[in-house]
Amino acid sequence: MQETLATSTLLSVPSRSSISMQDKFSTAGQTSTAGPQPSRPSIIPPHSKSKGWNSGTKVHWMRRIIAEDPEWSLSTVPLLTELCIQHIVKNFHNNPILKQLLPEHQQKVLNHLSPDLPLAVTANLIDDENYWRRCCEQRWPVCHVARHGGSWKRLFFERHLENLIKQFIPNTTDPAVILDLLPLCGNYVRGLRVDQFLPPVRLPPQPRSGELSDSGSEVEMEEPATDHYQLCDLVAGLSHLEELDLVYGVKDCGMNFEWNLFLFTYRDCHSLAATIKACHTLKIFRLTRSKVDDDKARILIRSLLDHPALEELDLSHNLIGDRGARAAAKLLSHSHLRVLNLANNQVRAPGAQSLAHALAHNTSLISLNLRLNCIEDEGGQALAHALQTNRCLTTLHLGGNELSEPTATLLSQVLAVNTTLTSINLSCNHIGLDGGKQLLEGMLENKTLLEFDLRLSDVAQESEYLIGQALCANREAARQRTLNPGHFMSPVIAKGPENLAG
Amino acid sequence: MNPPGPLGVLEEKEEEHLSTPILGPSINSDNPQERIQARRLRIAARLEARRREALGEYLDGKKESEEDQSKSYKQKEESRLKLNKLLLCGTELVTNIQVATDIREIHRRVEEEEIKRQRLEKLENEVKTSQDKFDEITAKWEEGKQKRIPQDLWEMLNTQQVHCAGLIEDKNKLISELQQELKTKDDQYVKDLKKQSDDICLLLERMEEQVKHMMKTFRQELNYIEKAFEVERQEMLASNKKKWERALQAHNAKELEYLMNRIKKVEDYEKQLNKQRVWDWEEYNMIKIKLEQDVQVLEQQLQQMKATYQLNQEKLEYNFQVLKKRDEESTVIKSQQKRKINRLHDALNNLRAKYNKQIKHFQEENQSLTSDYKRFVTQFKELQRAMRHFALVDDKQFREIWLMNEEEAKDLISRAFAVDRIIHTHHLGLPWTAPDFWFLRNVGPISQQPRKSAAQILEEVLMQAEEEGTEESTSEAESYLDLPKQISPRTTRKILMLLCDDPRVPLPDPIPLLVFSCRSPFLPSCKCVPLHLFCNLLHPCEQTSLMSGPEPGEQIDLEEQKEESLVEGEPEEKEAPPSPRLIHPNDVLKILEAFVMGLKKPKDSQAPVKMKYVRDNSKDSEYWESLTTVIPDATQNLWDALYTALEKYHLVLTQRAKLLLENRSLEQQNTELQMLLQQYLDSKINSELQVPPTQVLRVPTK
Repeated sequence: MQETLATSTLLSVPSRSSISMQDKFSTAGQTSTAGPQPSRPSIIPPHSKSKGWNSGTKVHWMRRIIAEDPEWSLSTVPLLTELCIQHIVKNFHNNPILKQLLPEHQQKVLNHLSPDLPLAVTANLIDDENYWRRCCEQRWPVCHVARHGGSWKRLFFERHLENLIKQFIPNTTDPAVILDLLPLCGNYVRGLRVDQFLPPVRLPPQPRSGELSDSGSEVEMEEPATDHYQLCDLVAGLSHLEELDLVYGVKDCGMNFEWNLFLFTYRDCHSLAATIKACHTLKIFRLTRSKVDDDKARILIRSLLDHPALEELDLSHNLIGDRGARAAAKLLSHSHLRVLNLANNQVRAPGAQSLAHALAHNTSLISLNLRLNCIEDEGGQALAHALQTNRCLTTLHLGGNELSEPTATLLSQVLAVNTTLTSINLSCNHIGLDGGKQLLEGMLENKTLLEFDLRLSDVAQESEYLIGQALCANREAARQRTLNPGHFMSPVIAKGPENLAG
Repeated sequence: MNPPGPLGVLEEKEEEHLSTPILGPSINSDNPQERIQARRLRIAARLEARRREALGEYLDGKKESEEDQSKSYKQKEESRLKLNKLLLCGTELVTNIQVATDIREIHRRVEEEEIKRQRLEKLENEVKTSQDKFDEITAKWEEGKQKRIPQDLWEMLNTQQVHCAGLIEDKNKLISELQQELKTKDDQYVKDLKKQSDDICLLLERMEEQVKHMMKTFRQELNYIEKAFEVERQEMLASNKKKWERALQAHNAKELEYLMNRIKKVEDYEKQLNKQRVWDWEEYNMIKIKLEQDVQVLEQQLQQMKATYQLNQEKLEYNFQVLKKRDEESTVIKSQQKRKINRLHDALNNLRAKYNKQIKHFQEENQSLTSDYKRFVTQFKELQRAMRHFALVDDKQFREIWLMNEEEAKDLISRAFAVDRIIHTHHLGLPWTAPDFWFLRNVGPISQQPRKSAAQILEEVLMQAEEEGTEESTSEAESYLDLPKQISPRTTRKILMLLCDDPRVPLPDPIPLLVFSCRSPFLPSCKCVPLHLFCNLLHPCEQTSLMSGPEPGEQIDLEEQKEESLVEGEPEEKEAPPSPRLIHPNDVLKILEAFVMGLKKPKDSQAPVKMKYVRDNSKDSEYWESLTTVIPDATQNLWDALYTALEKYHLVLTQRAKLLLENRSLEQQNTELQMLLQQYLDSKINSELQVPPTQVLRVPTK
C-alpha cells in the first residue's frame, strides 16, 4: 500500500518538489491540496527548479524559509525520491516497481539493483542492457556479446540456459529446472550453444569400468540407458530459436576418458531430428564432434528436408561417409541451405560426386566445406565440373582431400570461367608443380577470387607467389568496388582521396 | 567530397546569410508571403552553389586534392597496404598451425590405415593358424573318444593340453601384442594431447603476438596518419591564415576607402542640406505668404458660400414645403386616380358584359339577317323571274311600239310623198317620181330577228342532255366546248344552268345562240355580234380574275358584278350564287375560259362578216333618221320657196277672194269638187298604191 502511494506521487509530480515530501507525511489524496501549509515549513526544501502551477507560492515559501532558517542546507537531507528509490531497490525482490517510474528514476533503480535477484522477477521486467551486463560480468569472466547479437540480456539467458543444459544429468536432475525457466527466457533466447551433454550416471558399472576392453560391450548393452537430455520440450518453448549448436560429448574428462561418454545414441538422434523438424525458426544447426555416422546423419537430414528457414548446416568432425554425403546432397536440392560444413568426415569420391551433382544446379549454397575428407581426384573433378555451371558458391574448402594435378587442371578452367567464387582452399593436397602452374594460369584470368590457399600442397613457390599477387590485385579491385559501386574500372589513386576525404 | 568545394559553399552561404536578412525577405518574418519568398531565395542560392561547385570548383578541387591530399592519402594507403600485408602474414602464420596439424593428421591417418591393414592381415593369419590348430585339437578329441586305454587317453589329453596351452599362448601373445600396441597408442594419445596442447599454446602465443603486433603497427600507422594529417592541417591552416590575412587586409583597405568616401559624401550632403535648407526656407516663406493670401481669399469665398448656403437653405426649405404640399396633393390625386381606376374597372366590366350581350345580340341579329337574306334571295329569284318575264314582255312591247311608230312614220312619209307629188304635179307641174328607199320597204325593227332566248337554248340543251343521258350531254357539250378533262360534266352543266338561270347575265342570249348555231348553222350573221360582245366583256373580267388571286369564289361574284355593271350599266345588288360551294371556284374559271375559247374559234373564222353588222347598231338611228329625211333638202327648199310663193299667192288669192267673193259660189263649187276629188284620191291611194294617181285623176278629168 505504501509502495503504490509513493509511486503514484512520484508519477504525478514531474520533478523533485516539495509536494512529494509533503505527501510522504500527509495521507493519500492530499496531493493536490498540499500546497501552503505553514505548520511545517522547515521540511519543505526550497527547490528553485520547481515548475508548474504553484511556482509562485513556492518562491514565496522559499523566501520565508530562508528568512527563518538561514543555516538550512539541502545537502543534509536526502531527497525523498532518493529514499524512495533506495526503498524500491531494497524491496525489489518482493515488490518490483519499475515500469511506473519516470525514465530517470528507472535508470537509478536499475543502477542500484543487485544482479543476484531471482530471474523470475527480473526476466520479463527489466530490459535495461546495463543491468544484464552487470549480471553477465558477475557470473562469467569472459563475455562475448557479439556472438549473441550484441544483447546482454540475450547473452545472459542463452548462457544461463546453456549452463543448465550442460549440467543436466538425465534421470537425476529434475527436468523442471530447465522447463521452469522457459516462460522467463523464451522471448530472449535465439541461439543455443551446448558443447556438453552429460550421460546418465551409472553407478553399478562405474567400479568395473577400469577394464577398458569391457567398456565397449557394456556400452552396447546399456545403450538405451545412455540417452542424453531430450531437447524437444525446451526447443518447443523457445519461440525465437534460430541457432542450435550441439556437441554430444563431455568436456574436460582428461584421463577419465571413456568411450561411452561420447555417445550419440539413436534415441538421441531421433528426438533431435523431431526437435529440429518442429522448430521452424531454426536457421543454423550445428552438430559437431558427436560421432554422427551415416545412418544418424540420414535421420537428421531427412528431418531437415524442406525446412522453411534452415540456412546453415554444420556436421563437421563426425563420421559421415558417402551415404551421409548423398543425403546432404539431397538436402541441398530440397532446402535453401547457404552453408554446408562436412569438414573432417569420411566422405570419399562417391559422396563428393553426389554433392557435386547437387551443387551443379543449386542456387542458394554459398559455402561448402569438405576439409579433411578423402574425396580424391574423382570427387574433386566432379566438384570442379559442377562449379563450371554453378553461379552461387563463393567459398569452397577442399583442404586435405588427397587431391592432385587432374583436379588442379579442371579447377584452373573453372577459375577462368567462374565469377562468383571468392575463396578456395586447397591446402594439404598433392597438387604438384604442374598443377600449381595450371592453377596460376587459371588465376591470371580470374578477377573475383580473393583467397586461394595452397599451403603444403607441393606447389612451386614461384607460382604461389604469383597467385598471391593476382589475389592482391583482385582484393584491391574488390575494395574499390565496395567503396564506390559506380566506378568499377577507375584507377585506385585518382578515386581514392575523394572517397577518403569525403 | 573534397574540402575546397564545401568550404566555398559555406562561404557563399555565409555571405548569403549575411546579405539575405538585410536586403531580401527574412525567413523569420511574420508575413507568410515573405517567408515563402525567403525560402525560395535560399533554395535558389543553394542550387546555384551546387551548380558552381559542380562546374568550376570541381576541377579545381580535384587538382588541389591531388596535391594537398596526396600526403595524407599516401600515408593512409601505405599504412593500409602494410597492415593488410601484416594481417595476411599473421593469419597465415596462425593458420599454418592448423594446416600443419591437418597434414599431420592426414599422415597419421595414412599410417594408421597402413598399420590397421597390417594388423588386420596379422590377425587374419593368426586366426587361420589358430583355426588350424583348433581343428587339429578338435580332431584329436574325436580320436581321444575312441581311445580306451587310459594311458593313451592321458597321453593324448596331455598333448591336447599342451596344444591348447600353445593355442592360448599364441592368443595371449597376440593379445599382449595388441595391448602393447594399445599402450603405445595410449602413449601416443598422451603425446598427441601434449602436442595438441603445445600447438594450442603456440597458437595462442602466435595469436597474442599477432594481436600485439597488429596493435602496435596499427597504433604506429595511426600515429603516422595522424602526423600526416596534422602536417597537412598545419599547412592548410597556414595557407588559410595567409588567405584570411590577405582578405582581412583587403577588407581593411576597402573599409578605409569606404570610410573616406563616406566622410566625403557626408560633407557633400551636409553642404547640400544647408543649401536645401536655405532654399526651403525661402520657398517656405513664399508659400506661406501665398497661402495666407489664399486663406483670405478662401475666407471671403467661405463667407460668400455661407451666404449662398443660407439662401439655398431657405430656398430649399421653401421647395421642401412646396414639395410636401405637392406630395400631399399627389397623394390625394393618387387616391382619386385609384378611385377612378376602380370606377373604370367597373365600367370595363360593365362594358364587357355589355359587349358579350351585344355579341349575343348581334349573333341573333345576324341569324335573323341571314334568314332575311335567304328570304331576299328567294324574293330576288322571284324578281328575276319577273324580270325575265318583263323582258319578254318588253321585247314584245318594243316590237309593237316599233311597228306602231314605223307605221306612223310611214304614214307620215306617205303623206309627205303625197304632198310632194301634189306639189310636184299640181303646183309645179313637174313629173313626180316616188322615191324608192330600202327602209321604206322595211317592216319591224332591224335587229329584232326571230330567235330563241339563251335561256331557252340552254334549257333545251340541258333538257336534251338529260334526256339523252349524261354521257351524251357531255359529248355534246364537248362538241362546242373544249372542256378540260378534269372537270366533270356535271359541274359544267351546273355552271351552264346557273348561267342560263341568271337573268343578270346578258350573255346567255348570244351564247346559246352561238351554241345553237354551232350545232345547226342557222343565222350565221346573228350569232357573231353577241359573241363578240361577250368576248369583249369577258376579257377584262377574266384578266382581273386571273390577276387577282386566291378567292375565286368571290372573284366570280365580282366578275359577275363587273359584267353586270359593264353590260347593263345599272348597279344591281350582288347576290351570292345559290350554292357557291358546290362548284369549285377553279373549275368555274376553267369552264368559262374553255367556253370562251370555244366561242372564239368560230368568231375568228367569220371576222369580216362580223364587221358589217357592227355598224348596224347605228342603223336604228340611221334608219329613223333616214325616215325623217325622206324628203330631201332640195324639195324642202323648194317647199319653202313654194311656201313663200304660195304665201304670196295666198295673199294674192285672198285679195282675189275678196275680189272673187262674188263668184264664190262658183268657186265654192269648184273647191267642193276639188275637195271631193282630193278625198277621192286619198282613198284610192290607200287601196291602190300601184296605180299612179295622175292616171286616176286623168281618167275622171277626161
